[in-house]
Amino acid sequence: MNCEHCQEYISAFLDNDLDEKISAGIQAHLAVCADCAKVCEDFAAILDMCHTEETAAAEVLPPNSQALWCRINNIIESEIQPLQAEVKKEEEPKRGFARMWQLSFGQVAAGMIIIGIVSSLLTIVGIRNYSTPSGVDGTDAASQTLFEKVLGKMGLVETPIQARERKIKEQQAAIDYWNKRVEARRAQWDKNLREAFDRNLHEIDQTVAEYTQILQENPQDELSGEMLDSTLNDKMELLREFSDL
Amino acid sequence: MFSLGLGKKTTILLWLSVVFFFAAPGTEILAQKKFSKTYPASKNVRLQLTNRTGTVNVEGWNRDEISISAYMEAPAANIVPQNLSGTIVINLIKDNEGRGEVGNVNFSIKVPYTTMVDIETRIGNLTVNSINSGLVRAHISSEGDITLTNISAAAVSAENVMGDIFFDGEIRREGNYRFASNKGAINIRIPFESSFKLMATAPSTRSISLGAFSGGNMTFIGDGRRVVGKSSDGSATITVTNQRGTIAFIRR
Repeated sequence: MNCEHCQEYISAFLDNDLDEKISAGIQAHLAVCADCAKVCEDFAAILDMCHTEETAAAEVLPPNSQALWCRINNIIESEIQPLQAEVKKEEEPKRGFARMWQLSFGQVAAGMIIIGIVSSLLTIVGIRNYSTPSGVDGTDAASQTLFEKVLGKMGLVETPIQARERKIKEQQAAIDYWNKRVEARRAQWDKNLREAFDRNLHEIDQTVAEYTQILQENPQDELSGEMLDSTLNDKMELLREFSDL
Repeated sequence: MFSLGLGKKTTILLWLSVVFFFAAPGTEILAQKKFSKTYPASKNVRLQLTNRTGTVNVEGWNRDEISISAYMEAPAANIVPQNLSGTIVINLIKDNEGRGEVGNVNFSIKVPYTTMVDIETRIGNLTVNSINSGLVRAHISSEGDITLTNISAAAVSAENVMGDIFFDGEIRREGNYRFASNKGAINIRIPFESSFKLMATAPSTRSISLGAFSGGNMTFIGDGRRVVGKSSDGSATITVTNQRGTIAFIRR
């Protein structure tokens, strides 16, 4: 019996699971081998401890190793859970903050409805500003609703004055174009035609100058704005119709 | 032979002077060319005429034909009327495109009473008389007077830059009537029982005379620059704008 064989059988020896011959050989070896005797002592101490735990615990320890490992796992998990609970308590403030962005279906629906209403109002105001002729009854820009005024100041809709200025620029561009066409044809006209054209153009220009001055003094005067728009259209028509003579 | 006792030479000279006296105006007549043509017309015929310079007179008559007469001053314009699916189209601008100087052309046209009349000229007067149809439009691009008399139409439009506009006629229910000028007088003579909504604007002179049509239903707004309101039940629509002239309503 050598040390290797002895240590291999020590566990079974201590459990009395060996036959007499091998058991006698191990006893003889332990008597002369200090190292193997030490190992045997350690194994015996472990066994003694297990037997002590057994008597102290109310439940009966399972006889097999697999059940023992399960019990050890349960002990470990029971010790880990308190630690996890402490970690969760530290994370809760962050989750509370993140919870703000977690909206319910009702909240999302309400938000979408509000966005839709605001978009519709903006569209209606925009279309109204574009299509409704201004100053039909001579009232001034004070007839603009408060909502429209607020939107105008925010730059979301065009105010009547801004719309008028934009239209005047467009008309002036068209007038410049037709003026060039007239200048190109003018040399072919006879004297009477030229004089008649100049006379009428001068008349219209005087009217334009009058309304321009009125609007500089009172930009809110929608009637004058309407008349200026009409006069500029007349000028454009005059130039266009004479451009093909 | 009748004789005053004058010599032969003197007699000849006298006769020659008489001949030249009567022949001189004829040079002008000879210089004016005349265009004349007649077209058969249905009841719903439309006359669409665009003149360059000159007058246009249109008169309704009780015949199913359109008679066009034009007197052309030198240099004579080309006139090429077209009959397009019941519309007589005369466009002197297009017919004389590219030509420099073209003389005045003065039209005298007779049309069936029910003809829709659409006439315009760049310079000159327009006159329409005795029409009972769906449309009368008279447009002068610059200066000239517009005279519409004995008119019964569902839509009337008369506009010029400088000149007077006179309308004498009926206001049909749900009709549309528009008169616009930059300078001149606009006078409208209509029956007292006419039913219309009115918007009349004379921003410069503020001279808007409603005559028999003034009353509680008419309101002056914009410091007297505009009148809005209605007469009777406000069926038709009348819009009158005179930038630097006057507006007057006269009871027919």
